[in-house]
Amino acid sequence: MTRAAAVGVLALAACTQRKINPEPVTIMRNGDRVADSDAKIAEARDRVAGQQASTQFSRDSIMAAAMTGCTPDVCAAVTRGEVTLGMNEAQLMAATRTTPAAWSVRRSGDAAVYTSALQDQSPRDAVAAVALVQVEDGRIASYAYNEPSGMRIVQKSGDASATARATATGNALVQQGDEAVAAGNANLALTRYDQASVLLPNDATVQYKIATLLDQQLRPIEALMRYKRFLHQMELERINAVGDAYAKQAEAIAHAKERIIVLEKH
Amino acid sequence: METSSLARLSARAALVALMAVGAACQPKQVNRIDPAAVTDLSGRWNDTDSRLVANELIKQSLDGAWVKRYSDAHGGAAPTVVVGDFANKTYEHIAVGTFVNDLERAFTNSGAVEVMVSGAARDAVRDERADQQTNANAGTRSRMANETGARYMLQGEIQAIEDSEGKEKVVFYQIDATMVDMESNAKVWIGQHKIKKYILRKRVGL
Repeated sequence: MTRAAAVGVLALAACTQRKINPEPVTIMRNGDRVADSDAKIAEARDRVAGQQASTQFSRDSIMAAAMTGCTPDVCAAVTRGEVTLGMNEAQLMAATRTTPAAWSVRRSGDAAVYTSALQDQSPRDAVAAVALVQVEDGRIASYAYNEPSGMRIVQKSGDASATARATATGNALVQQGDEAVAAGNANLALTRYDQASVLLPNDATVQYKIATLLDQQLRPIEALMRYKRFLHQMELERINAVGDAYAKQAEAIAHAKERIIVLEKH
Repeated sequence: METSSLARLSARAALVALMAVGAACQPKQVNRIDPAAVTDLSGRWNDTDSRLVANELIKQSLDGAWVKRYSDAHGGAAPTVVVGDFANKTYEHIAVGTFVNDLERAFTNSGAVEVMVSGAARDAVRDERADQQTNANAGTRSRMANETGARYMLQGEIQAIEDSEGKEKVVFYQIDATMVDMESNAKVWIGQHKIKKYILRKRVGL
């Protein structure tokens, strides 16, 4: 009888599901209260307000120092929020609306190199993100922008103009088009060359590259137009006697003329 | 004998009728209770879960380094954020707007983050601004094309895992919020909160 009872108890124990015991973790029961986040927000507000006031004071001091005794073109650049050659270090920060916290500075004698203190947070001026600034004798000697088409370096005043920027971007697009051609992606190459042709309207080589690609893609009407445009631009260059561009492109000119004859026959 | 059974039947009928009348006369009971009170009825997602998620995400986001990093690199300016999609990948209806709005409130009221209006609300603002160009006094018109572009987008998702047997059920919710740099696509902050519920349905007995 006792044995039977023991077997019965064992069988019952084997069949019983193991209960989940949620202790000792914190359990929220009905009627408990969930704390609100107002205290956390207030604490953050106090902290942020303090930081912002401190940074604002720093920025105001930098701006005052930057605008004291600056030349008219540098003052205008600071006001516009653009970095320009010849600025001092305070003017660089004023132009980029930053404080020393944004920059990592390496100094060597009279030279200094400014880069972003935080890799993902480059300081930027009104033009683009500033990747690097070289300072010599306390004045900016060159600087580089980090642009979608790559790095653009400004070493002389002409490099900072809108035209120079367009030329640099156009050249970068031509380079990307060349890489796409090498990779066998003709459509992407055409897109890049088309974009470049807007920025470099007087660059005959871009027209020649577009013409050749269109010709290869069996698009004769567009190719013909581009070959003619190429020759027209080369003629203008020859008339303008710009360097020896005409002599360098002799082979391309001969090829373009030959293709025009062939395409016009069709 | 017949009389007594008839009397018993009448008494029972009267009792049932009395109970029915009593039940019908029971007034509806409505009480205002503390919104912070935990009130779990069905075990499904409820206001308590929403508050817990909001509190945790607020704490994590305001303590996160991404705000200070941005601020340091931009002369103390607060980062600008637009709220994107918060996907509910559970089988329940979950009103994500409650804790997302709590998060927006914390960002704005703390001054740590500038929140830009998004979605349908943004369209409404743009419609009103466009209307002002025709109908408002020139000196009071809000200018067109002068919105502040957000640098970051807040995105997120809620996922749930359920396990049940018999009267027992366990539900696990995971809420992930991500702040994405719109220029570089980098995730600059990830907030996460997990909720696990054990639900035991007791047999109803009289």
